[in-house]
Amino acid sequence: MKNPRDFVAKLCGWVSAAFLAAMLLLIVVDVVLRKFGLSPIHGTFELVELLLVCTFFFALPATFLRDENIVVDMIDTWRPRWVPALKRASAAAAVVLLATIAWQSWLQARNAMSFGDVTSDLSLPKILYWAPLVFGIAAGAVAAAAMAVKRGARK
Amino acid sequence: MSLGLLGVLGVVVLLFALAMRVPIALALAGVGFLGYAAADGWATALKMLGSVPFNLSTAYSLSVIPLFILMGAVASRAAMSRELFDAANALFAGFRGALTHATIGACAAFGAICGSSIATAATFSKVSIPEMRRHGYDPGFSAGAVAAAGTLGIIIPPSVILAIYSIVAEQSLPKLFAAALIPGLILAALYVITVWIVARLRPDLMPETESMPLGQRLRAALGMWKLALLFFLAVVGIYLGWYSPTEAAAVSAFAAIVIAFATGHMRWRGLLDAFMETAYATAMLFFIVIGAFIFARFIVLTQFPTALGDWVKDWGLSPVMVILAVMALYFVLGTFLEEVSTILISVPVTLPLVLAVGYDGIWFGIFVTVMATIGLISPPTGMTVFVIQAQNPDIPVARIYRGTLAFLAADFVLVGMLIAWPGIVSWLPAVLKM
Repeated sequence: MKNPRDFVAKLCGWVSAAFLAAMLLLIVVDVVLRKFGLSPIHGTFELVELLLVCTFFFALPATFLRDENIVVDMIDTWRPRWVPALKRASAAAAVVLLATIAWQSWLQARNAMSFGDVTSDLSLPKILYWAPLVFGIAAGAVAAAAMAVKRGARK
Repeated sequence: MSLGLLGVLGVVVLLFALAMRVPIALALAGVGFLGYAAADGWATALKMLGSVPFNLSTAYSLSVIPLFILMGAVASRAAMSRELFDAANALFAGFRGALTHATIGACAAFGAICGSSIATAATFSKVSIPEMRRHGYDPGFSAGAVAAAGTLGIIIPPSVILAIYSIVAEQSLPKLFAAALIPGLILAALYVITVWIVARLRPDLMPETESMPLGQRLRAALGMWKLALLFFLAVVGIYLGWYSPTEAAAVSAFAAIVIAFATGHMRWRGLLDAFMETAYATAMLFFIVIGAFIFARFIVLTQFPTALGDWVKDWGLSPVMVILAVMALYFVLGTFLEEVSTILISVPVTLPLVLAVGYDGIWFGIFVTVMATIGLISPPTGMTVFVIQAQNPDIPVARIYRGTLAFLAADFVLVGMLIAWPGIVSWLPAVLKM
């Protein structure tokens, strides 16, 4: 592993891939059981939704660490000297926006927990869905900050 | 400031932010949030910012996206492209431009499973271009043909782009898949006709290749079985009522893994890479989708699309004139945005407008997707052209663009057909009683 950033990005990928694999197997098993006239897995929808939220939000920090956000890069040709500053500004904006989303999501997650919100089929606590979301977005903010510092150091 | 004007300002600021290299997801979410706050106050804007990611990421319908991406990632690693190219080549052997025809046929089939134009172009850039060059084909035309044929993947179902459109535009995915099949096949046929015409006009660009005995043709054609099976599971299974689009995506992704292992083209390391590639791609895509939904909330709040519709009515513009204006907009957007971003940024504004003048949401999904394919091969920033150039650095970009020109004309023929005969889109869903 070249540096800690690469390791964390890989770790995010592994965890996310594990949830994706679980989602794939869950759906396939459910379909096979149904096709063979056996009783399908109870609450598949809710479990898939939970695995989807985990797949997405555990991989989100890697999007920043791997610098994979899609940009319109026409300015790279016209004003190449602006690019490092623009990248730093974007990373700083990402930190502010993601931190704000994490803060607001945390408030709503706290409400869901205090009200004891649960899903309709399996009665899973809704906080299980909120937790990876809040973690992923907050970790995304930290990852964006790390990239801003990296670019600053490089400059 | 009126809400309509705020909407216009939001669009202008968004375009400026994109030009300033702000990541697309961030620009959409940031402008959407600030615009919403300006229109309805900070308290409601903050609440909206906290709820949109949760509501979206826990939507079952969204799970179709990573599963289709996974199927493409596995298919790309399982050497299916080479076998497909050989099979298509066997079908066309003996015709002038046979290898180009084979590239189009193979890209159409592979792109349908892969779902990504850029991945299809990158794959066939390695498979087809060296083969065409070895047989004396013009490098620019060969690369242009791969760039254009690569775009077929986003139209022919199952398509990740259509899945994304179905979520943003709240349209039925099975209906979109059915609606896209005929236009996708027409475009593939138009590309084949284009090659035939170019071969007649400029035979020096593509020499004749040797014919092949019938037995050899049939044997090579059998190499298509893997992709045919995946297509059957992914698309036909939905219409046979076996399962939902998400289940179809999961079953076909699982089948792709089984086939790849059973034929010895994949090991555990490759499978892990495919899963990780899918995880990263999903995060990147979902982040843009969240940004687009936040931006859409703002646009809906400003009633900008309604104001645009009223303005169109006041000016007495006919539906066709509106669609031509929308077409021009997509042509411009496509020159600097890739296909997912083009759709996510524009649909919240353009869909209400075209619905207001009488077009159908399913038809518009196909129209927008075809326009996105044009953006992928048109200058100055045709993404598939750049991908191919990166893999073939000795072919200048300008030469590849020249190679795509004839195919661009075919794209516009299809756009014209969609406008003139909307039944091309609605026929199959009607037959399937959707």
